[in-house]
Parts: sequence; C-alpha cells; structure tokens
Amino acid sequence: MRRFFAKFATLLRRDTAERELSREIESHLALLQEDFERQGLSPAAAKLAARKSYGGIEQAKELHREERSHLWLEHFFKDLRYGARNLWRSPGFTAVAVMALALGIGANTAIFGVVNSVLLRPLAYKDPERLVTILHYGSGPVATANYFDWRDQTHSFTAMGAADFWSPNLTNTDKPEHLYGLKVTQNLLPLLGVDPLMGRLFAPGEDQTGADHEVILSHALWVRLFNADRNVIGKPVTLDGEVYTIVGVMPPKFKFAPYWAIHAELWVPDALEATAHQRGGNHLRVFARLKPGVTFAQAQADMSTVSGRLDKEFPATNRGVTVIPLMQKVVGNIETPLLLMLGAVGFVLLIACANVAHMLLARTADRQKEIAVRVALGAGRARVISQFLTESLLLAALGALVGWLLALAGTKALVFLAPAYIPRVETITIDTHALLFLLGVTVVTALAFGLIPAVHAAATNLNDSLKEGGRGDSDGISRNRLRTFLVASEFALAFVLLIGAGLMIRSFHALQLIDPGFNPHNVLSMVVSVAGTKEADSNHRPAFYRELLEKVRHVPSVVSVGAINHLPLEGDQWDRSFLIEGRPDPRAGQEPDAVYRLVMPGYFETMRLPLRRGRLIDERDDARAPGVVVINERAAHAYWPNENPIGKRIYLKEQDQAQRNWLTVIGVVADARQIDWDADPSEEMYLPALQTPDFLGQTTSTIAPHMSYLTLVVRGSGDAKDLTSAVEATVHSIDPNVPISQVITMDGAIAKATAQPRFEMLLLGLFSAVALLLAAIGIYGVMNYSISRRTREIGIRMSLGASRRDVLRMVLRQAILQAIVGTAVGVVASLLLVRLLTKLLYGIQPTDPLTFASVIVVLGAAALIAALIPARKAMHIEPLLALRSE
Amino acid sequence: MPSEDKNRIAVLQGTLDLIILRMLQTMGQQHAYAIATRLQQISEDLLQLNQGTLYPALVRLEQQGHIKGAWGKTETNREAKFYSLTKAGEKALVQETLRWRQMSGLVDKLLSEGA
Repeated sequence: MRRFFAKFATLLRRDTAERELSREIESHLALLQEDFERQGLSPAAAKLAARKSYGGIEQAKELHREERSHLWLEHFFKDLRYGARNLWRSPGFTAVAVMALALGIGANTAIFGVVNSVLLRPLAYKDPERLVTILHYGSGPVATANYFDWRDQTHSFTAMGAADFWSPNLTNTDKPEHLYGLKVTQNLLPLLGVDPLMGRLFAPGEDQTGADHEVILSHALWVRLFNADRNVIGKPVTLDGEVYTIVGVMPPKFKFAPYWAIHAELWVPDALEATAHQRGGNHLRVFARLKPGVTFAQAQADMSTVSGRLDKEFPATNRGVTVIPLMQKVVGNIETPLLLMLGAVGFVLLIACANVAHMLLARTADRQKEIAVRVALGAGRARVISQFLTESLLLAALGALVGWLLALAGTKALVFLAPAYIPRVETITIDTHALLFLLGVTVVTALAFGLIPAVHAAATNLNDSLKEGGRGDSDGISRNRLRTFLVASEFALAFVLLIGAGLMIRSFHALQLIDPGFNPHNVLSMVVSVAGTKEADSNHRPAFYRELLEKVRHVPSVVSVGAINHLPLEGDQWDRSFLIEGRPDPRAGQEPDAVYRLVMPGYFETMRLPLRRGRLIDERDDARAPGVVVINERAAHAYWPNENPIGKRIYLKEQDQAQRNWLTVIGVVADARQIDWDADPSEEMYLPALQTPDFLGQTTSTIAPHMSYLTLVVRGSGDAKDLTSAVEATVHSIDPNVPISQVITMDGAIAKATAQPRFEMLLLGLFSAVALLLAAIGIYGVMNYSISRRTREIGIRMSLGASRRDVLRMVLRQAILQAIVGTAVGVVASLLLVRLLTKLLYGIQPTDPLTFASVIVVLGAAALIAALIPARKAMHIEPLLALRSE
Repeated sequence: MPSEDKNRIAVLQGTLDLIILRMLQTMGQQHAYAIATRLQQISEDLLQLNQGTLYPALVRLEQQGHIKGAWGKTETNREAKFYSLTKAGEKALVQETLRWRQMSGLVDKLLSEGA
C-alpha cells in the first residue's frame, strides 16, 4: 500500500524524479570516469570508457522509470495523447473506423437493450420467478370446475387465482367508451404481491355474486378518466350498465395480465358460482405462486397427479395440464427472434472489427519505421503492444460514443416500429445494464480488432525497418495473409446475414401471397357494442343492428355492409362442438367442432367470401324462421366427406340444454383465414346472429355477456378509410351512447397480422445491408492499400510487357479469391445456422436454393465493384512514374 | 533488451535487495557507484550488475522505506546520492537474512543428500 502511494506520488512529481535520475546517472558516470583517469587514461578517453562500461543510458533510464512509478498509468496517458494525435492526423481512416465501430456497437447496444428489457428484466411483481401460469392443452384456457379442483387439491402453491377477459362499455359519462379489463378471483391480485397506489385490493367474499361490484383502476385509466383525482376511491362507474364502486388504483408500472389481455385497464371480481360445475366452456387463465422450496418440476408433478385423477373421473376434461413459469409464457414467442437478432448484430460487429483490424494492419505497415525507432530507444515489446492497444481503445471508445447515440435513436425507432406483438414493449429502455453491456462490448471490440495489429507491430524487425529506403516492395507475406483472412471472414459473416435476410424476404413474400379467402381491399371494420346502453335490451338489440346496417348501406360510396361478432384476424375465436343428426353419439371429447361465428345478412357479400354451394344467410333467417347454419369447405370435407352437406342438420352442444335446437346446413362458403394469418383455416360455421338467443339477450348463459357487440364490415367504392367518419356519425345518429372501438381496415388488419415477420425481415435486412457495406469497404480498403504498396511492382511488370488487362486481371483475381473463400465458408456456416430460422419461416425451406444463389450473386457483385475501383487505378499506373517514385 | 552474459551469475530475484541492505549496514552510507564497485570486487567479477538492475533495486528499496537517499559530496568532491539504512531497513535485513539462511540451508541439504 505504502509502495503504491509512493509510486503514485512519484508519478505526480514525475519531472522531479526524472531530474533526479539524470543527476544520479551523471554522478555515476563522473565517478566511473574518475576511476578510469586514475588508471591513467586521458580525461577524454576516460569519459568514453565510462560511457561504454555504463551501457545504454536510455535503456537504464527506461528500466528505472518502470520501477519508479505505476508506469502503466503514466504510459497510458502518454499513449492516449499520442494515439489521439495519430488519429487526428489521419481523419479519413479515423472517420471510417469510428463509423464502422459505431454501427456495430450501436446496433448491439440497441438490440441488447431490447433483449434486456424484454427477456432479462424480471416481471414487475413480487418474486416474479415464483409465479406460474397453468394452462389446459399446453396453451388453452381452463374451465371453472377444473380451476376449483386444482386450487383445492394441489399442495405446491401458496395461492392459485384465475382471470377472465372482460371488455365492458363505460357509460353514464360524456364520452362512452369500450374498455378492456379482467374479471379476477379475489386471491389473484394479492398473490402478485403488488400494493395498490391508493385504496385496496379486493377483500375476501367480494368475488361472490351480489358482492362483486367493485372495480380497481389502472394508473393510466385513473389519469384518463378522472384526471388523477385523489378522491376517486368510493366513486361509482357504470360498466355494461351496472354500477361499480372504485376501491383501488394500481401504481403506474402495474400491468396484468402480462400475456393475453395485455391491454387490461381495470379489474373487477369474478363471481364464478354460475359456472362452478362446468368442465367444458374453458375461459379462465389460471395463475399461481409456488410455495417456497417447491420447484417447477415438483409443481408440475403435483398438478399432473391431480389432473390425471380428475380426467379419470370426468373423461377428457383434464388433458395436457401444464405448469409454465409466467416469464416463459410472456416471452416464449419472442425469445427466438430476439436472440437471432442479437446474433445478427453480433455478426455485424465482428465484421466491423475485422474491417478496422485490417485497416490498422495496413497502418502498422506504414508505421514500421516509427515503431523501430521506439524499440531502439528502449521501448519493450509490451510497450509497443500497449501503445497500439491504447490507440485501439481510443478508437473503440469514439465508436462507442457515437454508437451509444445511435443506440438511443435506434431503440426509439425500434419501439416505434415494433409491432404490438413484442411483449413488454413499453419497458424497453437503454438502462444501466445496457450501458454496462456497451462498455464491455467496447473493451472486447478494442481487443478484438487491436490485438493482432499490435502484436504484428511489436514483431517488427528493427534492422530491416531502419535501413535506408527499406520500405519493402511486397508487403510481409504473413501480414498479407492475415488481411486476406480478415476480408474473407468478413465475406463469410456477411454471407450468413444475407442468407438470413434473404430467407426472411422470401418467407414474407410467401406470406403476402396467401389468399385470405375474402377480398380485403376497401373494407372498413369497427366494433359496435351495445353493452350497458338501452340498445342492449333484448327488445331493442335486433332492431338497433338492423337499423344500423340499413342506414350505413345508404352512406355515400358504401357498396355493401354486413356484420360479424368475431372478425377474422382481429377478433376473438371460439370453438364449439356439435352433433350431427343421425350419427351415433361420439365419445366425450371427440365431438365434431368448428370455429363459431355469428353474422348479420350481408357479411359474406361485403367480404366477398365466395359461396360454393347452397345459399347465404339473408333477411329471411330471423328468430321466427327455422335455425340455419353456413359452413366452410373444410368443415364440409371433414364432416360430410362423400356427401352433400346441404340440408343436413346439426345441433350445438350446450352445457344445460333441455331441448335440441336443430340447425340446417344451408350453404358452404370458401375457407377464410382465421385468427392466425399463417395457419391454414380450420372447420368453421356461421350462424345468423338474429337466431342466436345468447346474442339476442334472451338468456343468462355465461357467454351471453360476451355477445353484446358486433363488428361492422363496410365495403366502399374507394379507400375504406375515407368512410370512417361517415359511418361513425351514422352509428351515433341512432344512439350517441353506443361506443365504437377497434376501427381498422381489412388491409390494415392483414398488415397487423403480418407485422412480426415484416419487422423481422426489416431488421435482418437492415443488418445485412450494413454487413454488405462493411464487407465491400473491407475489400475496397485492402485492394486499394495493396495496390498503393505494389505500385512499383506493377510498374516493373508493365515495363516488362504486362498489358493493362493483365494488371486488371491480376488485381481482380486477388479480390475474387478473397470473396470466393469467404463465400465458401459462408455457405457452410449458413447451412449450419439456418436451422435456427426454421420457426420464423413460412412457405420456404431454410436451405432455399434460390436464396443461396441470389446471395452468392449479390455478394460476388459487391466484391467485384469494390475491387474494380482500385483495379482501375492499378491499370492506369504509368510504369516510368511508378519506377521513379521510390 | 541487452543480452545476458552466460558466464556470469545472474542475480536472483530478491537477493540483490538483501545484498544492498547488508552492504549499507556494514559500510554505512554509500553512493550507487560505490555499491556497484564493491559488489564487483567482493564477487571477484563473477557477479556482474548492470546499471539497469542496480538503480531499480535502489528505487524499490527507497519506496519501501528500507533505505533513504540524500545528495552529498564524495572525497573527490563529486556530487552523488548517498543511501543509508533506515530503521525499517534494519528490521527487514534481519528478517530477510533469516529467510535466506533457511532457504540456502534447505537447498544445501537437498543438494548434498540427494533428493
């Protein structure tokens, strides 16, 4: 310690120490000389002898200095100053290197910021790593009776709660609004361990029918509806026509649920008595907290035992019950693409490093004399290496600074462009973790591109370099090989990235070519919900929607209009099982089923969903008429494979159905895309809304509250967007209290459904473009440098009779060789790596030959163009001038 | 880097410090040149110190507080820096001597008995 301070002190008193040292050496020499004089030498001869016997003064000084101070610190500052001067003196090199590094470091930091925020940062609940979600069939919702049994019979959880999606209409305000919320069991919010900002969570007993009219608001909703009024607790709000009392407001960062229903802004108690005995009609999402010391595997085993027992007791009701860590469920779908992007930017950084490394190598070659002088003056090999590494660090630091700015801007752009599919997108920031990452990357980068040139510099042969004119016609062979290796690896890396981007483009193109089954152009859609308004009344509801369709039909430039409860791509999707007349009852759990949708007359015509057989649902099919159903082609093939389904009868399996409501199949329509754009449509059935008791408000079934809205579809003669205000005005001309939500064109809905692959394609495309540019700069730089070094050689060749064509060929051959080696390695690496992309691709193989061929052509062209400029320069070398230039 | 002369004994790391301390103890304050010359005489030129080794050792010892240097005049009226042993240096010398004895005893033993 003491020594440390002494060293530090000498560092500060460096000049004094330096003077002391010279003085001591002088005195030593004087004493030596005295001795020699005593031996009889003349003063002059003695002086010379003293010098000789002393040895290298500067070397002694250097050794002395190293011992004297914490030399590295002093050296570091000296190197820094020296390096800065050096970089300043070659602004072109510095700018290119800093820009390349900034692109690499910036892209890495931005993507890491996303990965950190989305994948690494824990969820904003208490001990989030102990939270799980329990789902049916691996990913599906859960029936009430199952939830109760799981909750009561398992032993691995401190608490198990359930939630149900609920989107009520807010009325009795100036601005009626369609809100998104959740119905939750009383124990659900407490198990998350987040305290409310104001008020309280639900009390035990409040999830019982009759006591369940309390509401907890999200912070954002509280600000929006109540202007952040602190006296909001105890005030009433009207949701779906019923009065709820506000009991609490959650803190700003609280979000629930983290997957599915992510836009929920309010929570009310879920009274489950009505469905307590149902084992079908799955609608709950179940959440639980593991008991201390219980592992996921133990919890799953516990759960499997319970569900296995239940499945025996109630056949086919408890299959594939899965305990999933909550975080895994939240980020499960995005993990692969995000890590792939991180890998891609890692490649970009590697290319940037290779680029800067060979630029530095070239500079080192030019600085051999300088290095030799330093070595002769007593600089050790370590000193030379550290000098070069300091310069690299300075470059990397400049790159990091610019990269950081790029990352800040890039992250903003990413969040802005990122489709809503990225979970936790609102939490994406460049935080301290990302900054630490940036620092780490910077240091590693500096070492990565600085070490090889530095070691090379230190290996400089003193004598050769100092010899007059010894600049060497052909550059050191090993150095040359190294540069070729670097450029080839740049090409290999760029190749892999281009393959990734090419595959994404091809896959996206395949997605664009999907026929949705309907004609999406010029169609506007919006959800019109009557919940909580006077139109919800069973006497008003059919009349309201009929009047609405009639009035919208007469809006100028409207071609046709219809309505459906769940719009394809945008809306919810329910499966319902049914039985076919005249067939033996299938075993439980093996009934035929189909996606279940309710439509108003005009839906098929407006969507231009073609009729294949029979007729469409029209005005005739109302509550008084016999029940009818339209099915899609797939359902026709699946359930009536060798017969005509028209005229056949089915009935829907209801929970507590006294009598069978027979529905006659009247038509078969084309298959239309359903909730997922890239999934083949499954069996589907369309029922007239006006024949459905649940929709008409005539029942108190559990699904009735989810049926109080329809999605209007309007086909215009021109751009459907232009119709928006006229259609909205028409809705409000009938009843101003009816809220409108989710206004979107069908083209927009398709764009939204393909947003993820588009985003992935754009990012990979961007990264590979940067990679291609860097690789091209690399090959250009190397060729340009090598030609400037070989000017005399080329001059000799030409004066010996080489034609300009020969020169061109020679130069291009070198460039193409590098590109070919790089490409060959790239092909192999790509074939190994594309498997990772399989999950993200649609409609093409990861080894798609067209993509590989195109990338080879693109990369080859880039190499050729990059090499052509220096090659032309070489071609126009004047032999005489070149020879004289030495 | 100056190359080492194979015929001479290279100074063991750490032993140079001990030798300097001992010299200063027996001879009193000395300047670097005198230390170097004396070392050469005693070792009958077997121990060749290059200046690059002696000075760092002196600096090291000074920083450790084992010796302290002061400028003065030689008999021939030359200016030189005279080093002398400090209290801490005395203590260090005792300890280092002890350690050296143990070490060399051990090595001797091993060499004579054959390990």
